[in-house]
Amino acid sequence: MTTQETQLEALRELVAEVLEIDPEELTDTGDFIDDYEADSLRAIEILARIDKQYKVEIPQAELPLLRNLKAVHEALLQYSGQG
Amino acid sequence: MREHPGIRAVLPQRYPMLLVDRILELDPRRSIRTVKAVTATEPCYAGLPEDAEPWRYHYPPALLIESFGQSAALLWLDGHAPAADDGLTLMFVGATEFVFEGGVLPGDVLIHTVRLDNVIAGTAFASGETWAGTRRVARVTTLVATRRPVPHLTGPADASAVAAGPGPAQRSREGSR
Repeated sequence: MTTQETQLEALRELVAEVLEIDPEELTDTGDFIDDYEADSLRAIEILARIDKQYKVEIPQAELPLLRNLKAVHEALLQYSGQG
Repeated sequence: MREHPGIRAVLPQRYPMLLVDRILELDPRRSIRTVKAVTATEPCYAGLPEDAEPWRYHYPPALLIESFGQSAALLWLDGHAPAADDGLTLMFVGATEFVFEGGVLPGDVLIHTVRLDNVIAGTAFASGETWAGTRRVARVTTLVATRRPVPHLTGPADASAVAAGPGPAQRSREGSR
Protein backbone atom coordinates (compact mmCIF):
# COMPACT_ATOMS: atom_id res chain seq x y z
CA MET A 1 0.00 0.00 0.00
CA THR A 2 1.16 3.53 -0.68
CA THR A 3 1.50 5.98 2.19
CA GLN A 4 -1.75 7.63 1.15
CA GLU A 5 -3.59 4.30 1.06
CA THR A 6 -2.28 3.41 4.50
CA GLN A 7 -3.39 6.81 5.75
CA LEU A 8 -6.82 6.31 4.21
CA GLU A 9 -7.23 3.00 6.03
CA ALA A 10 -6.17 4.57 9.35
CA LEU A 11 -8.64 7.36 8.71
CA ARG A 12 -11.37 4.80 7.91
CA GLU A 13 -10.87 3.33 11.38
CA LEU A 14 -10.94 6.74 13.02
CA VAL A 15 -14.14 7.79 11.23
CA ALA A 16 -15.83 4.41 11.75
CA GLU A 17 -15.18 4.69 15.47
CA VAL A 18 -16.83 8.10 15.58
CA LEU A 19 -19.80 6.83 13.54
CA GLU A 20 -19.94 3.71 15.73
CA ILE A 21 -19.81 1.29 12.81
CA ASP A 22 -17.31 -1.33 11.64
CA PRO A 23 -14.52 0.01 9.40
CA GLU A 24 -15.57 -2.56 6.76
CA GLU A 25 -19.00 -0.93 6.61
CA LEU A 26 -17.58 2.49 5.82
CA THR A 27 -17.18 3.01 2.09
CA ASP A 28 -15.14 5.82 0.55
CA THR A 29 -18.17 7.69 -0.74
CA GLY A 30 -20.95 6.63 1.65
CA ASP A 31 -22.67 9.75 2.98
CA PHE A 32 -22.19 10.12 6.75
CA ILE A 33 -25.64 11.60 7.26
CA ASP A 34 -27.74 9.80 4.64
CA ASP A 35 -26.05 6.40 4.75
CA TYR A 36 -24.73 6.16 8.32
CA GLU A 37 -27.30 8.21 10.24
CA ALA A 38 -24.68 10.61 11.57
CA ASP A 39 -25.59 14.08 12.80
CA SER A 40 -23.68 17.33 12.48
CA LEU A 41 -21.84 16.71 15.76
CA ARG A 42 -20.14 13.63 14.35
CA ALA A 43 -18.35 15.62 11.65
CA ILE A 44 -17.13 18.00 14.36
CA GLU A 45 -15.89 15.04 16.38
CA ILE A 46 -14.03 13.72 13.32
CA LEU A 47 -12.23 17.08 13.00
CA ALA A 48 -11.32 17.03 16.69
CA ARG A 49 -9.89 13.52 16.43
CA ILE A 50 -7.87 14.38 13.33
CA ASP A 51 -6.48 17.38 15.17
CA LYS A 52 -5.56 15.22 18.17
CA GLN A 53 -4.14 12.27 16.23
CA TYR A 54 -2.49 13.94 13.22
CA LYS A 55 -1.96 17.45 14.63
CA VAL A 56 -3.67 18.75 11.51
CA GLU A 57 -6.22 21.53 11.83
CA ILE A 58 -8.93 21.38 9.22
CA PRO A 59 -10.86 24.68 9.35
CA GLN A 60 -14.45 24.40 10.55
CA ALA A 61 -15.54 26.17 7.36
CA GLU A 62 -14.85 22.83 5.64
CA LEU A 63 -17.42 21.03 7.82
CA PRO A 64 -20.32 21.13 5.33
CA LEU A 65 -18.11 19.47 2.70
CA LEU A 66 -16.95 16.61 4.90
CA ARG A 67 -19.82 14.29 4.03
CA ASN A 68 -17.87 11.13 3.21
CA LEU A 69 -14.54 9.45 3.92
CA LYS A 70 -13.02 10.51 0.60
CA ALA A 71 -13.75 14.18 1.34
CA VAL A 72 -12.26 13.88 4.84
CA HIS A 73 -9.14 12.23 3.43
CA GLU A 74 -8.73 14.93 0.78
CA ALA A 75 -9.10 17.63 3.44
CA LEU A 76 -6.52 15.88 5.62
CA LEU A 77 -4.06 15.72 2.70
CA GLN A 78 -4.71 19.34 1.81
CA TYR A 79 -4.26 20.74 5.31
CA SER A 80 -1.28 18.55 6.18
CA GLY A 81 0.52 19.87 3.12
CA GLN A 82 0.41 16.55 1.24
CA GLY A 83 -2.41 17.48 -1.12
CA MET B 1 -9.42 29.72 43.84
CA ARG B 2 -13.08 30.36 43.22
CA GLU B 3 -15.86 29.56 45.68
CA HIS B 4 -19.38 28.35 45.10
CA PRO B 5 -21.07 31.65 44.14
CA GLY B 6 -18.64 31.92 41.24
CA ILE B 7 -19.71 28.47 40.08
CA ARG B 8 -23.43 29.18 40.41
CA ALA B 9 -22.96 32.31 38.33
CA VAL B 10 -21.65 30.25 35.40
CA LEU B 11 -23.44 26.90 35.46
CA PRO B 12 -27.21 26.60 34.96
CA GLN B 13 -27.49 23.49 37.16
CA ARG B 14 -28.95 23.77 40.68
CA TYR B 15 -29.53 21.50 43.67
CA PRO B 16 -29.36 18.56 43.58
CA MET B 17 -27.57 18.52 40.23
CA LEU B 18 -24.96 21.23 40.74
CA LEU B 19 -22.03 18.90 41.34
CA VAL B 20 -18.99 21.16 41.62
CA ASP B 21 -18.16 22.75 44.98
CA ARG B 22 -15.06 24.80 44.32
CA ILE B 23 -12.57 25.76 41.62
CA LEU B 24 -8.99 25.28 42.82
CA GLU B 25 -7.20 26.46 39.69
CA LEU B 26 -8.32 27.73 36.33
CA ASP B 27 -5.82 28.16 33.51
CA PRO B 28 -8.07 29.75 30.88
CA ARG B 29 -8.70 27.64 27.79
CA ARG B 30 -6.18 25.04 28.99
CA SER B 31 -7.03 23.31 32.26
CA ILE B 32 -9.01 23.41 35.47
CA ARG B 33 -8.92 21.69 38.86
CA THR B 34 -12.16 21.44 40.77
CA VAL B 35 -13.47 19.91 43.99
CA LYS B 36 -16.59 17.85 44.58
CA ALA B 37 -17.01 16.61 48.14
CA VAL B 38 -19.15 13.49 48.47
CA THR B 39 -21.12 13.23 51.71
CA ALA B 40 -23.57 10.76 53.19
CA THR B 41 -26.28 13.42 52.91
CA GLU B 42 -26.23 13.32 49.10
CA PRO B 43 -29.74 12.67 47.73
CA CYS B 44 -28.43 9.51 46.03
CA TYR B 45 -28.11 7.87 49.46
CA ALA B 46 -31.46 9.07 50.82
CA GLY B 47 -33.45 5.98 49.91
CA LEU B 48 -30.98 3.36 51.09
CA PRO B 49 -32.39 0.85 53.56
CA GLU B 50 -30.74 0.33 56.94
CA ASP B 51 -29.30 -3.01 55.86
CA ALA B 52 -27.95 -1.77 52.50
CA GLU B 53 -24.87 -3.64 51.33
CA PRO B 54 -21.62 -1.60 51.50
CA TRP B 55 -21.27 -1.41 47.71
CA ARG B 56 -24.52 0.51 47.52
CA TYR B 57 -22.74 3.47 49.11
CA HIS B 58 -20.50 3.80 46.07
CA TYR B 59 -21.08 7.21 44.50
CA PRO B 60 -22.97 6.68 41.22
CA PRO B 61 -20.64 6.82 38.19
CA ALA B 62 -23.27 8.82 36.25
CA LEU B 63 -23.01 11.60 38.86
CA LEU B 64 -19.23 11.50 38.75
CA ILE B 65 -19.39 11.95 34.96
CA GLU B 66 -21.82 14.83 35.43
CA SER B 67 -19.53 16.45 38.00
CA PHE B 68 -16.55 16.05 35.65
CA GLY B 69 -18.62 17.45 32.78
CA GLN B 70 -19.64 20.48 34.82
CA SER B 71 -15.97 21.07 35.61
CA ALA B 72 -15.22 20.90 31.88
CA ALA B 73 -18.01 23.42 31.26
CA LEU B 74 -16.51 25.81 33.83
CA LEU B 75 -13.20 25.57 32.00
CA TRP B 76 -14.75 25.96 28.57
CA LEU B 77 -16.83 28.96 29.63
CA ASP B 78 -13.70 30.30 31.29
CA GLY B 79 -15.54 31.04 34.51
CA HIS B 80 -17.85 33.49 32.75
CA ALA B 81 -21.57 32.97 32.38
CA PRO B 82 -22.73 32.96 28.75
CA ALA B 83 -25.26 35.64 27.81
CA ALA B 84 -28.62 34.45 29.10
CA ASP B 85 -30.37 35.49 25.91
CA ASP B 86 -28.13 33.72 23.42
CA GLY B 87 -30.70 30.90 23.22
CA LEU B 88 -28.07 28.18 23.55
CA THR B 89 -28.29 25.32 26.01
CA LEU B 90 -25.20 23.71 27.43
CA MET B 91 -25.36 19.95 27.00
CA PHE B 92 -23.31 16.86 27.50
CA VAL B 93 -22.92 15.02 24.21
CA GLY B 94 -20.97 11.96 25.23
CA ALA B 95 -17.66 10.55 26.30
CA THR B 96 -15.17 8.06 24.92
CA GLU B 97 -13.25 5.77 27.25
CA PHE B 98 -14.59 7.02 30.57
CA VAL B 99 -12.85 4.47 32.78
CA PHE B 100 -13.64 3.95 36.46
CA GLU B 101 -10.67 2.75 38.42
CA GLY B 102 -11.89 2.84 41.99
CA GLY B 103 -14.97 3.29 44.11
CA VAL B 104 -15.98 6.60 45.69
CA LEU B 105 -17.64 6.66 49.10
CA PRO B 106 -19.17 9.27 51.40
CA GLY B 107 -16.27 11.23 52.88
CA ASP B 108 -14.21 11.20 49.69
CA VAL B 109 -13.20 14.56 48.29
CA LEU B 110 -12.99 14.31 44.52
CA ILE B 111 -10.53 16.42 42.58
CA HIS B 112 -11.23 16.69 38.87
CA THR B 113 -8.34 17.65 36.62
CA VAL B 114 -9.70 18.61 33.22
CA ARG B 115 -7.85 19.65 30.09
CA LEU B 116 -9.60 21.43 27.22
CA ASP B 117 -8.23 19.73 24.11
CA ASN B 118 -10.21 21.47 21.42
CA VAL B 119 -13.17 23.71 20.63
CA ILE B 120 -14.62 23.33 17.16
CA ALA B 121 -17.84 24.92 15.95
CA GLY B 122 -19.26 25.51 19.42
CA THR B 123 -18.37 22.03 20.59
CA ALA B 124 -15.77 21.37 23.29
CA PHE B 125 -13.54 18.31 23.65
CA ALA B 126 -11.97 17.66 27.04
CA SER B 127 -9.98 14.93 28.79
CA GLY B 128 -8.72 14.34 32.30
CA GLU B 129 -8.78 12.44 35.55
CA THR B 130 -10.62 12.32 38.85
CA TRP B 131 -8.74 11.71 42.08
CA ALA B 132 -9.80 10.89 45.64
CA GLY B 133 -6.70 11.83 47.61
CA THR B 134 -3.81 9.92 46.06
CA ARG B 135 -6.11 7.41 44.37
CA ARG B 136 -7.09 7.98 40.75
CA VAL B 137 -10.72 6.89 40.57
CA ALA B 138 -11.56 7.75 36.95
CA ARG B 139 -10.09 8.96 33.70
CA VAL B 140 -11.56 9.97 30.37
CA THR B 141 -9.98 10.17 26.93
CA THR B 142 -12.58 12.45 25.38
CA LEU B 143 -15.62 14.17 26.80
CA VAL B 144 -17.74 16.15 24.36
CA ALA B 145 -20.01 19.05 25.27
CA THR B 146 -21.83 21.51 23.08
CA ARG B 147 -24.05 24.56 23.21
CA ARG B 148 -27.02 24.33 20.90
CA PRO B 149 -30.42 25.97 20.48
CA VAL B 150 -33.06 23.76 22.09
CA PRO B 151 -36.43 25.48 21.61
CA HIS B 152 -38.47 22.91 23.52
CA LEU B 153 -36.50 23.54 26.71
CA THR B 154 -37.02 27.28 26.67
CA GLY B 155 -40.61 27.62 25.54
CA PRO B 156 -43.84 25.82 24.70
CA ALA B 157 -43.55 22.91 22.33
CA ASP B 158 -43.55 23.99 18.70
CA ALA B 159 -45.76 21.63 16.71
CA SER B 160 -43.83 22.16 13.48
CA ALA B 161 -40.52 21.37 15.19
CA VAL B 162 -41.97 18.16 16.60
CA ALA B 163 -43.34 17.19 13.19
CA ALA B 164 -39.92 17.73 11.64
CA GLY B 165 -38.39 15.17 13.97
CA PRO B 166 -35.50 15.49 16.36
CA GLY B 167 -32.70 17.86 15.47
CA PRO B 168 -29.03 17.01 15.74
CA ALA B 169 -28.81 18.09 19.35
CA GLN B 170 -31.69 15.94 20.50
CA ARG B 171 -30.32 12.93 18.67
CA SER B 172 -26.89 13.29 20.18
CA ARG B 173 -25.44 10.52 22.23
CA GLU B 174 -26.04 10.35 25.91
CA GLY B 175 -23.93 8.61 28.46
CA SER B 176 -20.61 6.97 27.88
CA ARG B 177 -19.66 4.36 25.39
